[in-house]
Amino acid sequence: MDDAGFLRSALGRRDLLKYAGIAAILAACKKADTGTGSGGAGGDTGQGTTGATGPTATRPTIDEEPGGLQVFDWGGYGDGTYYPKEEKKFLWQAYQTATGDTPEFILFEDDDFGYAKVAAGAVEFDVVHPCAYRFRDWVALDVLQPWDTSLLSNFASLNPTLNAAGNFDGQQYFVVADWGFAAPMYRADKVEPLQDSWDVLWDERYEGKISWWDSVNMLVVAGYYHGVPDPWAMTDDELVQMRDFMASKKHLVRFMWSQSFDLWRAFKQEEVWIGYAWPDVVGYAKTGGFDVVYMEPKEGRTSWYCGFGLAKDSANYHHAHAYVDSWTSTKAAEFLLNYYYYGHTNTGLDLSIISPEIVEAFSLSDPTVLEEPRSHYERPIERRDVYSQYWSEVKAA
Amino acid sequence: MATLEATATAKSWRRRDRRATAGLISGPLLWLVVFFLLPVGFVAAYSVGGIRIFPTDGGLSLDDWRRFLAGDSIYLGLFWKSVRMSLTVSVAVVVLSYPIGYFLALCAKRRKYVLLLLIIVPFLTSYLLRVLAWKVILGDRGVVNSLLFWLNLRAPDDPLPWLLYSQFTVTLVLAYVWVPFVALPVFVSLDNLDRSLLEAASDLGASRWRTFWRVTFPLSLPGVVAGFVFVFVPTIGEFVTPLLVGGTGGYMYGNAIQDLFTKGLDWQSGSVLAFFLLGVVAALMLIFGRYVRVQSVAG
Repeated sequence: MDDAGFLRSALGRRDLLKYAGIAAILAACKKADTGTGSGGAGGDTGQGTTGATGPTATRPTIDEEPGGLQVFDWGGYGDGTYYPKEEKKFLWQAYQTATGDTPEFILFEDDDFGYAKVAAGAVEFDVVHPCAYRFRDWVALDVLQPWDTSLLSNFASLNPTLNAAGNFDGQQYFVVADWGFAAPMYRADKVEPLQDSWDVLWDERYEGKISWWDSVNMLVVAGYYHGVPDPWAMTDDELVQMRDFMASKKHLVRFMWSQSFDLWRAFKQEEVWIGYAWPDVVGYAKTGGFDVVYMEPKEGRTSWYCGFGLAKDSANYHHAHAYVDSWTSTKAAEFLLNYYYYGHTNTGLDLSIISPEIVEAFSLSDPTVLEEPRSHYERPIERRDVYSQYWSEVKAA
Repeated sequence: MATLEATATAKSWRRRDRRATAGLISGPLLWLVVFFLLPVGFVAAYSVGGIRIFPTDGGLSLDDWRRFLAGDSIYLGLFWKSVRMSLTVSVAVVVLSYPIGYFLALCAKRRKYVLLLLIIVPFLTSYLLRVLAWKVILGDRGVVNSLLFWLNLRAPDDPLPWLLYSQFTVTLVLAYVWVPFVALPVFVSLDNLDRSLLEAASDLGASRWRTFWRVTFPLSLPGVVAGFVFVFVPTIGEFVTPLLVGGTGGYMYGNAIQDLFTKGLDWQSGSVLAFFLLGVVAALMLIFGRYVRVQSVAG
């Protein structure tokens, strides 16, 4: 990495961290818009991603809108589940100041659950916050309308590649805001992995002290472990192999988590020592005084990103834009990094205000950390129903 | 003439009776149609692909039914696993509840309703809280394991692993949850027992043990069977308790249905499983209705 060498030699530590972090994000996201192979963005990269994309002239003004913005989101992203004061302060206080409105939060447990509820017409919302692997499904469901990016003051500061990932048919259906890794986490004082590999998640020596994520992504991880050419698009034979492998290792697993906080609770209660983890659990564990390692497996970590969608029939069009503008600010980015160890797409963040421990955990000073093959962006799985079937069989085995 | 008038009056009363009956029955009937028959109809339609939810859904097809009934999918096996677990829970609950119902009906005398209330009081709290409380009791650093550490029966690094996140945990917690629901019908059966029969048995020289097996128990059987069914039917489709304390080993049929609807987004397969469960439950209820007089356990 010549660029990184140049950065290290020519800049001070603060600047280095700032630019290296941005470079890391940009470098990784470069993969996201290449379409096939290593990347993973689902968006239409051939389209422009800035500028107005939707007519606003005929809409009611923000003062004429009813307010009471309904946000359909993950817990801990503003509703106060984990950090009641900070979530408000960093994520949507700017929105409240600008509009006088207090958003209402409706929570979903995971992407599939949220998508199913909306598809069934069981929930009404103004703004929804799914992750990238379902972006295309949400657009196909015809419940969203594109954002008017000219109303988002922070849009130009967001990572352009991830902006493109939220662009479908030339329309900005999603404003990508947050991203993070997925990798094995383990207690350093209890576990000695044989190697830095995903195989720590099925290490026979730690039977009953392991937790998996309850998701088809576990099949993908098994695919990377077994060297499958494209774990996001496995053949039936490959899926059968992964299913049989995971089913044979299931007895080692204490429980499978659906919400990452459950994993942290189990770590805290010492019920498990090893888990498939998102960075927030690493944050909770380190804050809680646990000696944990967030592994960088030789097969590569996986990573994900999520973005905001705007309901097609929202009566709070301008409120929704104001909310997302608040969420895409550097202040929100600071919160995500400091409290959840999640990345943010706002490239204007000064990384020197972020804890050095987090910078180290993210390896933000290393521009290659998000590049293939060190990290694999989560991609839409075309045959997700087949993956789900096999994953169900693992669970029921 | 008088006969004609009497006949007309009788007809008028019958018409009034019919109208009153129709009026009384229309409310529950409407409720049943709107909140049971229609949803069941929807589930049936989903199960054959008659209703599309997601853009990727296919059309009409009986493939999911065929796969399920032919045993080609894993779900039929999972159903039998759930049946086994439910049977275990139901038997355990009946065994635990019978002495409670017996004591309340035949021994507690004037205090019986106070004691009954005491049994029911914990169940006024949230179901989730009660289940989660078991995590505190059964966890690796929970009450039971801590006691074992303290007694030097287990090393602190080696807690009993099967106490939490296992089939045992699911069985234990479900048994705890359902005990009052069985104790109540048993109590009602025994409370309605004609005490003179017990006196007669005693007068004829039967021992207390013999009286119990030849008189008390047979007469309380409707309550026992009702309690058994009250537990067995809902626990086959149970999914909350296994989700919270079952871990990978306690996964049940109800969890598969939930997963198919919420994670797999395969509403057609989920509906097949749900409809099959409904059929089994309906059959059980028919058998239950055939052999047990509901009045005998309803007080």
